[in-house]
Amino acid sequence: MKQDSFSDQLAEPEIHRLTRRDFMKGLGAVAVGCSVTLPLLSEVLLADEQQSRVVLIRDADVVGRDGKINAAVVQRMLDQAVTALLENADPVACWKRLVKPDDVVGIKSNEWDRLPTPPEVERALKQRVMDAGVPERNIGIDDRGVLGHPVFRKCTALINVRPMRTHAWSAAGSLIKNYIMFVPQPEDYHDDNCAPLGAIWHLPHVKGKTRLNVLVMLTPLFYGVGPHHFDKTFVWNYNSLLVGTDPVAVDSIGISIFEARRKAYFGEERPLRASAHHITLADKKYHLGTSDLSKIQLIKLGWKEGVLI
Amino acid sequence: MPLVRTFCSRSLNAVGMVLILGSIMIATDNCSKQQAPEQSPRDLVPDESLGWTLQDSTETYDREGIFDYIDGAGEVYRAYGFAGVTVFRYDRVGEGGIIVEIFDMGSPADAYGVFSYSREEETSGIGQAYEFAGSLLHFWKDRFYVCVRAEQPGELAREAVVAIAKSIDGKITAEGGKPALVGMLPQEGLVPHSETYFHTHPVLNNRYFVSTENILNLGAGTNAVLARYSPGRVYLLCIEYKNAQEAEAARQQFVARYIPEARDSGAAQTENGLWVAVVTQRQYLGIVFDAPDYERAVQLADALKGKV
Repeated sequence: MKQDSFSDQLAEPEIHRLTRRDFMKGLGAVAVGCSVTLPLLSEVLLADEQQSRVVLIRDADVVGRDGKINAAVVQRMLDQAVTALLENADPVACWKRLVKPDDVVGIKSNEWDRLPTPPEVERALKQRVMDAGVPERNIGIDDRGVLGHPVFRKCTALINVRPMRTHAWSAAGSLIKNYIMFVPQPEDYHDDNCAPLGAIWHLPHVKGKTRLNVLVMLTPLFYGVGPHHFDKTFVWNYNSLLVGTDPVAVDSIGISIFEARRKAYFGEERPLRASAHHITLADKKYHLGTSDLSKIQLIKLGWKEGVLI
Repeated sequence: MPLVRTFCSRSLNAVGMVLILGSIMIATDNCSKQQAPEQSPRDLVPDESLGWTLQDSTETYDREGIFDYIDGAGEVYRAYGFAGVTVFRYDRVGEGGIIVEIFDMGSPADAYGVFSYSREEETSGIGQAYEFAGSLLHFWKDRFYVCVRAEQPGELAREAVVAIAKSIDGKITAEGGKPALVGMLPQEGLVPHSETYFHTHPVLNNRYFVSTENILNLGAGTNAVLARYSPGRVYLLCIEYKNAQEAEAARQQFVARYIPEARDSGAAQTENGLWVAVVTQRQYLGIVFDAPDYERAVQLADALKGKV
């Protein structure tokens, strides 16, 4: 059965009609493209619960010269990120806060063949979910088959993980966009550069289940041309994971890194060609998190060289 | 003879409609320099180039099937008069493959349009303009938008990409002019190759987000161009409607929804400290976004008014 667009159920006239000026008033930095202002980022640990916390962790050794990913380093990075995010030195204790032993956990990955979620990252996540007490039989990892996957069909918790890349239509392959496979007709959510994607997060089989978001920026794609929008020329070893419970905040930091990388690579301001307003709308319309960089607490860990942000 | 795999069974009517629409666009744009003969994509590609040999694995995708090929980015082509794409593969022992995609965009205007959507720079010499970015060379000519891409970067592959592109260019016998609307843009301060030609609201929002609603009444029947001007990052949007009444209706709606404080003046300062100005002239609507001051906003709007 085809599921209706959830946006119809969110018919609140005063917020339905959003313009660029509404974003200006609300400092929706992502949607207004080149006005992303890195200095607004809060880099100081604050006890302000209004802030969304995002952990950016990097390790120079996570990607080898041969392009292979070091699984042990990935596990260490993930542990460091989660412990910083949840302010507890024990990674397993942190994961026990994220998932309970009786949870059924779907790890929503991304299998796009040119830049898939590395299996090393998937395995690191699965390991810690099991360490938290969830039986292996109650853990599923999938992308395009989630609607038919027996674990995802009964899941009580979701872990959202995907590599970040630029995209010709939606501007970015984002965490918000990664849930498009939770609807049977993904093209129903392509309208206006995938603007309605945030509605998917409110569907009954998705809403409120996401416990952690991991934006993989080990080898992100920062620029693309043509229909497939992929070229190894524009992939770089950033060697990073971005981790947070607020997917909009994590995506917004990812976009900021892309803008900085493009400026560094081209030697001039080169904002994303496409507007990433699906991320800002995930904030302003669907209330999934914050795209306001001044309300994001960024914690940077690990390798500093070329951090860009 | 290459085996052709098609994905178009569900949408012959849709394709037919698109081709008709494309023909109408060609006629109304009055921009075709030569009568385009019917050319099959297979007739355009060489059998071999620098050791890369055409494989028997040709695929075609129509408007409905495009998502099977490029997922969500298929919307880019569907926003124009896209009729279909044919995909060819070349292989050479010990080297990565080369992929050729020939998009039939239905009209020269829309072939230029989708090229303008994609390119950030452009050069003359292959097709009517091309860009070689990374491992991808793409160009437009007549109603075709062509991409030639090496799967593995390398000097030899790069030479082969150029050779294949030039071969295809040589076999497309017709040329089509750029849409007339693009030629109406004021030249002073225009950032080279910043123009994007399009028709629909999602493409406008893709290049410059204006509103979640289609407050400018854009659609398949409107022609539009967005361009950037310096100094600063000033944008000029010019839309051609079917008639002056439609242009005026769009102006009134835009003012009411976006700059109600400019109901009388046609210009307003927005929350980012920059200026917006709107003008109409016959069936044309012009909007300046992000001008640094009132004078620049009005000057650019008036310059457009004098050109259309």
